[in-house]
Amino acid sequence: MSGARLTCDEVRELAAPFVLGSLEAEEEAAVREHLRGCVEAHEEYAELGSVAAALPLAVELVEPPESLKARILEAAAADREAAAARRREGSPDDRDIPPATLVPLAPVPRGLVSDAAPRRTGPVLAWAMRAAAVVAIVALAGWNLLLQGELSAEEAYSRDVAAVLDVAAQRGAVTAVLAPAEAGGPRGLAAIGPDGRMGLALRDLAPTSGDQVYEAWVIVGDAAPRPLGGFTVGGSGTGALAASGLPADPGVALAITLEPGPGASTPTLPILALGAAAAPPGSEAAALLATVTP
Amino acid sequence: MSADELRAPGRTTSVVDDIDRGVLARVADGELDALSELYDRYRTMAYSIALRVTGDATLAEDVLQEAFLGAWRHAGRYVAGKGSVKTWLLAIVHHRAIDAVRRRRPSTALPEREDAPPPALTIPDLWGEVSAHLDAATVRAALAELPDAQREAIELAYFGGLTQQEIAARTGAPLGTVKGRMRLALVAMRRRLLELGGEP
Repeated sequence: MSGARLTCDEVRELAAPFVLGSLEAEEEAAVREHLRGCVEAHEEYAELGSVAAALPLAVELVEPPESLKARILEAAAADREAAAARRREGSPDDRDIPPATLVPLAPVPRGLVSDAAPRRTGPVLAWAMRAAAVVAIVALAGWNLLLQGELSAEEAYSRDVAAVLDVAAQRGAVTAVLAPAEAGGPRGLAAIGPDGRMGLALRDLAPTSGDQVYEAWVIVGDAAPRPLGGFTVGGSGTGALAASGLPADPGVALAITLEPGPGASTPTLPILALGAAAAPPGSEAAALLATVTP
Repeated sequence: MSADELRAPGRTTSVVDDIDRGVLARVADGELDALSELYDRYRTMAYSIALRVTGDATLAEDVLQEAFLGAWRHAGRYVAGKGSVKTWLLAIVHHRAIDAVRRRRPSTALPEREDAPPPALTIPDLWGEVSAHLDAATVRAALAELPDAQREAIELAYFGGLTQQEIAARTGAPLGTVKGRMRLALVAMRRRLLELGGEP
């Protein structure tokens, strides 16, 4: 499928594997893209999806271990604490920002676009709303059917990279490519704007479990690494983080570690990905152009 | 999932749906108690799906954690009025479980009710313990009636987490045939569920 746009016939043909979760990530993304913009109702998705939604009933019921509830609630509490800490530091709250780990798509009548009523106000709001606005919702005809899904890893990463590029596009911003310390490790892109705000997008991250969080660190000169915030990662393998108060200086280093829990003050080695900030290509020309353009 | 849900676009939401939405709204506000309640309501079904798809108890627990944390973070994005919370939640679990099994395969890119309504307002909770068993029998019956190749396609896709290409490779059937089997199976199941669900 390789990024090619699908025709309505092709999308109809893919309805059954789509509702069963049997498409490759790329195919699924192509279907979602088509459904977002198509004027046809594609009711086959709702009809077949209603059957897929009934399939869980065929499963033999098994009780989870009792300890699992405490584990989940502890992880949620830690997540809330970490988000609160970031708010105190003036960074956006990743309970508001689509963090790439899981963004369920809710099919709604065509024309309705995401959702995510922000729960908090303040300077975070514009960022969060902008980030949320790119989470398009697939419009599927249907009654009382939620053919829910998640953004594919590709979509999530693309969205996060787009947010980073928005930061990078500002005059005076610096960017950093984060390379994996070991082959196959996490990699990504970061940008620091002239206002000190940073956007970071990563992929190929192993999912976190328990209280684990990935922590981003900034290293300025010989100073000790400073934590920027943590985030958890789910099945998509992608993650994103926003922070503020960073110097937009070339040479500033960014590092990623996996921490046993949120709130680490010193990094737990090994460093999984590392990159140094540099002025983006073309910025010198842009600066020069700015000096000669009225 | 009931026959009515399959049939009636304009069906009003059930009391259970309303309760679930209330719980989810509290989850969106960051109330841990609400997450606890949501977990209690759907833990069995959620874990059962995760376990069936992954075939691994440890992995299934991880899937549940990811799914409920996802719901915790993104409950605000649930679009009320467009479907039930349980369907939303279980779809997240299913997707997470599929992601988990695909990560393990190098060849692939990757009812408990705590707040029962008053009896006068009680309508059948089709995902509740008793009704779930009844509906489980219905869904299993509809599955069992499918031709073998169609049932295999559904099971490999939905419960096995295989992509259509992987199913084609495993079964030796052309990709178009696999897609056709999936569609025919879902259409037949839909018709049969409506018939079975409509029986008194």
